[in-house]
Amino acid sequence: MSKPVLIVGGGPAGLSAAHALASVGQSVVMVEKEDRLGGAPILSGYAKLIPSGEWARDAIGSMVARVEQNALVEARLNCQVNEFSGAPGKFQAQLSDGSKIEAGATILTTGFTHFDSINKPEWGFGTYDDVVTTTQVEQMISTGGGVRCPSDGRKPERVAILLCVGSRDRQIGREWCSKVCCTVSANLAMEIREELPDCHVYIYYMDIRTYGLYEDLYYWKSQEEFRVKYIKARIAEVTSDGQRLIVKGEDTLVKRPITIPFDMVVHAIGMDPNVDNMKLGAIFDVDLESHGHIGRGSNYSALATTSRAGVFVAGAATGPETIDDSISQGQAAAMAALATLNQNIGAA
Amino acid sequence: MNQASAAIGDPLSESPAVAREELEAVFADIQSHPLYDHELNGCLNCGICTATCPSAHYYDYSPREIVQLLWTENLEGIHDAMQEKIWACAQCYTCAARCPFGNSPGGLVMIMREAAIKHGMESAKEVLRPFSRVMLKVISTGNQLAPNMINAEHFPDWGPHISKVDAPLTVLRKAIPMPTLHTLETAWEVNLKTSLELYVIWEESGVLDQLETMDENLFDVITDIMEEKRDDYDDWLEDQEDEDGDDDD
Repeated sequence: MSKPVLIVGGGPAGLSAAHALASVGQSVVMVEKEDRLGGAPILSGYAKLIPSGEWARDAIGSMVARVEQNALVEARLNCQVNEFSGAPGKFQAQLSDGSKIEAGATILTTGFTHFDSINKPEWGFGTYDDVVTTTQVEQMISTGGGVRCPSDGRKPERVAILLCVGSRDRQIGREWCSKVCCTVSANLAMEIREELPDCHVYIYYMDIRTYGLYEDLYYWKSQEEFRVKYIKARIAEVTSDGQRLIVKGEDTLVKRPITIPFDMVVHAIGMDPNVDNMKLGAIFDVDLESHGHIGRGSNYSALATTSRAGVFVAGAATGPETIDDSISQGQAAAMAALATLNQNIGAA
Repeated sequence: MNQASAAIGDPLSESPAVAREELEAVFADIQSHPLYDHELNGCLNCGICTATCPSAHYYDYSPREIVQLLWTENLEGIHDAMQEKIWACAQCYTCAARCPFGNSPGGLVMIMREAAIKHGMESAKEVLRPFSRVMLKVISTGNQLAPNMINAEHFPDWGPHISKVDAPLTVLRKAIPMPTLHTLETAWEVNLKTSLELYVIWEESGVLDQLETMDENLFDVITDIMEEKRDDYDDWLEDQEDEDGDDDD
């Protein structure tokens, strides 16, 4: 029997890879640094997912359950890889729980880190209670508490969602587009309007990137059916008059500076490289790409490769990624890992 | 705005208000400025620069418009903006601190102002006219003001609410340990050699050429002063040599 595949990270990509490998009889050791599987959708308490509309706890929860119930997958929680050596077919990993494991191949599904809005102080997060992140609004919805102003629990009458917080911003060294935030924000705007029909929701944008099939299903629908208002403006600063939040920007289509009061300001936070990527890159001896994500070895001829043979990567570890694409990439990485195992049968 | 600067095309005429060659020459000077590529990287039209711009709140001025005109190489628009708009910028550079692209609209305005001066635009002359006394002092002494000259009496435009500081500032300033700040009495008394070095800088950096384009009378006054100081310095050198000669004997 071949050695197991080591999967680092138990989010959508890792769960997908583990399930794919187990479903063809391949054993897996899954190492997860948190105390539960599921990754960002579970750990950060996402609400309804795009494009299915299923609750994250149901959709990702079922992926967790089928992996946990599979005898071929051994999940090590609260655990990290400290040392990693060897070659395809005969890798050794030293884990933080003191154990050592052998693996025929490895898949890094180490995901991303949410942008910390503290790094854009002019937009008020950390200064005003009612400036929140998309993740917090997801949690307000997924916990059933509803969208409320954190300062006093009131229902907001006016909500501003600021796009590209921690994305497309050379000032803070984050030049990439985080890919999901436009669609997530359109979706959240509709959720807010559904729960609070009297609440005005504005989205401030540089460009709207609800790419592919999300254009009409999210961008247009949020305008046509939910009356979400889109304003082409990057906000200069969020302040307060002591009562409400004050948002200052330029309506670039009307071409005048604007100052507008809001009850709640939502930062559509981007996806940073995993804060541990420098460490992960060193431990697994894989190259990072220029933004700090785990670099792909090839874009066309071989999926899921890194700079090191037998070590594969999938999901948001490679850059901002959607949940469904992360799941696809997990399966691609599983296929690549299987091929490595086949090529190295009998490796010492 | 006088006639020369407010170039409005004659709707019945085929000839443009400003010759194409002139528009191109002005833009070429802007574009070839050593800082141009550093200040302009691209533009997403997000408007954060205009949103954060103090001048945009009070004047018909938008840093985003300036960036767009330059980025799209809209030569007529650029020339037009140089007749009035670029002079509304307060050079605070908040736009540069905010731009997600790392552009500096304020820096671009500075480049356009230099080009406006080089081309002797009437708008530049008009803006600089009230500052001829300042320029006289800065160029001839290298120093515009001593701290004690910055008071409400000299600056009526500050308005009535400015004189709130009720303290013996003259005494306090003399307590500042750095002797370079003890210039209350001597702000405009500059060492001869320093003056001459300053004049070389003005000449080599093109400041004097700019001054000649902008204000010929002031240029004459200042070059007279410079000549005088250079004569004084030559005299002083001769005196030194004489003294040396005495010593050597």
